[in-house]
Amino acid sequence: MSAVAWLIVVVIIVLLAAVIFVIARRRRRGGGVIATRGKR
Amino acid sequence: MKLLMTASQIRGLPVVTVRGGEDVAEVRDVIYDPEAGRLVGLSLNQRGFLAGRRHEVLPADAIHAIGQDAMMVLEESSLVTPADAPEDVAHPATERNVLGDDVLTEGGTSLGKVTDLVLLVGSSGEVVGYQIDKAGGGQGYIPLPAQLAVSGDALVVPNITEEFVEDDLVGLGATVDEFRARLGLA
Repeated sequence: MSAVAWLIVVVIIVLLAAVIFVIARRRRRGGGVIATRGKR
Repeated sequence: MKLLMTASQIRGLPVVTVRGGEDVAEVRDVIYDPEAGRLVGLSLNQRGFLAGRRHEVLPADAIHAIGQDAMMVLEESSLVTPADAPEDVAHPATERNVLGDDVLTEGGTSLGKVTDLVLLVGSSGEVVGYQIDKAGGGQGYIPLPAQLAVSGDALVVPNITEEFVEDDLVGLGATVDEFRARLGLA
């Protein structure tokens, strides 16, 4: 492959890693404020 | 020491043992009982950059103290497995997340949408108010009675709540007792 093709592959891998990282962080942080019954 | 904190300030706090000073977990969900007006427990995350949810939970009666910078427990065994915890804490009903819900007075006036829960912390966790995005724009704080019957999906508050919308936590702290006195609940 040419250098440009390799560069594109690397950029795609980095972007995918960033997306997975953000999703993982959000899933981990999660959390909320939960009422045990009904609401007021 | 008594201190007002929002649930979002409590979420993410480290859970630290008094005996040993170990950092054993991180607060995930704040679970409260709207009828009793108090915190009933917390679900937890493991510590660590990408660590996941922790299996054990922390019932309110196992909390030693809630501080600005940490949730204190006596020892790691204060965290209990869901089998040993109250049902509401063991399996929190995430569909009952109140953030984003409308706040209506009994007279049908919308005060805004809930953005946070305000608790009086220290040795326990009494629910004293909500932080809201006001219907007219901007952020505000409303006090809650110590106890109030729950009602369906809407967060229904007494009519006089409209007179007690405050702009900051300090104002809310000062107005809660007066609000409850007006309702005859103090």
